[in-house]
Amino acid sequence: MTPEHVHSSGAVPGPAVLLAAAALLAVACYLLAATRLRHRGDIWPYARDLCFASGGAALASAAVVTPPGGPFTAHMARHLVVGMAAPLLLVLARPLTLALRVLPPGRRRRALLAAAHSRPAAWLVFPPLAALLDVGGLWVLYRTPLWSASHDRPLLQAAVHFHVLAAGLLFTFAVCRLDPVRRRWGPAWRGAALLGAGAAHAALAKSLYAAPPYGTGFAPADLHTGARLMYYGGDLVELALAVVLAVQWYTAGGRALARSRRRSGAATVPAAARADPPHPPGARPASGCHPYECDRERRVREGHNPQGSHIGQRISMR
Amino acid sequence: MTQPAPHPAAPPSRPPLRPRRSLAVCALIGAALMAAVDEIVFHQLLNWHHFYDRSTPPIGLLSDGLLHTAELLGLVAGFVLHADMRRRGTLSPAHARAGLFLGLGAFQLFDGIVDHKVLRIHQIRYGADLLPYDLAWNGLGLALLGVGAVLAVRAGRTSGPPGRPGPSKPPEPSR
Repeated sequence: MTPEHVHSSGAVPGPAVLLAAAALLAVACYLLAATRLRHRGDIWPYARDLCFASGGAALASAAVVTPPGGPFTAHMARHLVVGMAAPLLLVLARPLTLALRVLPPGRRRRALLAAAHSRPAAWLVFPPLAALLDVGGLWVLYRTPLWSASHDRPLLQAAVHFHVLAAGLLFTFAVCRLDPVRRRWGPAWRGAALLGAGAAHAALAKSLYAAPPYGTGFAPADLHTGARLMYYGGDLVELALAVVLAVQWYTAGGRALARSRRRSGAATVPAAARADPPHPPGARPASGCHPYECDRERRVREGHNPQGSHIGQRISMR
Repeated sequence: MTQPAPHPAAPPSRPPLRPRRSLAVCALIGAALMAAVDEIVFHQLLNWHHFYDRSTPPIGLLSDGLLHTAELLGLVAGFVLHADMRRRGTLSPAHARAGLFLGLGAFQLFDGIVDHKVLRIHQIRYGADLLPYDLAWNGLGLALLGVGAVLAVRAGRTSGPPGRPGPSKPPEPSR
């Protein structure tokens, strides 16, 4: 899948076509599942379909199309798409949530849920560990003989590219925390992991500018363009991840603020509230919207099922 | 209903301003903004700085990467924290302005002294006498810091100890 490979063989190599086909198959499955969900009466924003489809398309095209530029620059453009941009688009579409919702209650759904809530999965999505697996893998690839060794071993090369994709997906998944998993790490952990990963990525990009990967000889101009691409391309994706985190924090704060305002509004209403017996905390406030309504609105906004129950779904289907 | 009584559903009292937090958040924005300006103007538009200088020691490389990522995250975090304070009505504008200038100046000075001189990540310009550039760079940093300090002192004076600006208003009971 490296440009040398594509150029030397003339034809598209096997693993690349396989990866492209798998990506397109995943997109087809996602679109099918989202359509089924909508037919059932659930709300699933079209933006997520768009995200997943563009992520899958980016992955497929990175696998089979050789980007312009020298060999190292082309490799780096691929690395950016496969390891950073496509994972972000795929993760933003919340594929795990979709799968859990569309699978009928049964063995497969239970197995998926068990896997998502398992202890190893909880450790894998620990943000610093995911960052280490992702950026640490890059340091190993470029600063050990691994890359030059993978040139004439297609299987090793496929494994390396699979690792770049898988680790990118894992890191993005851990930082964005959009799908339900066992342990939910707070914004501080995720932000710190993003900072550490970004710093290690930027330092690696600058060091590649000065020294080529172990055992390779690229033209200096090619090396410089590739290193700059890695540096600034990484910035863009990090910025997008930071925006995802920030928007999550801001909307969560807005919900908490609205809640506390409703409560304090209920506490200071003079006549009506005093006539009633005191509410336990969390009870229906005297003013503001009904908690069920608010909850329902929130769930609809987040793309959950508006009917709120499976009975509702059945009725809407008939 | 001659006298408009306070509406029962309206928030009973505005929350107290948070001057220190306003200052810190805007200082974060200022520092990140200055870093972004440095990156865009001197690295990209003028091409004065080098992307990578061979004389950079490894520790400089690492600190540069950390600082660069912190700048990106700081910009996003600063704006979202600022929006949050505005939403809650706890932003003190005078302290925010002071913080912005302090952040701008502090980053400029830090970049000029630590990055350029101590860690030697890159220089302001190559193939020229560096002294005037260094003086102008750090002088601008000092000037911005000075403006920030003056604004901070004035903001502290007009608002007094933690509370609302304007001494005419009685201090509100803390909730």
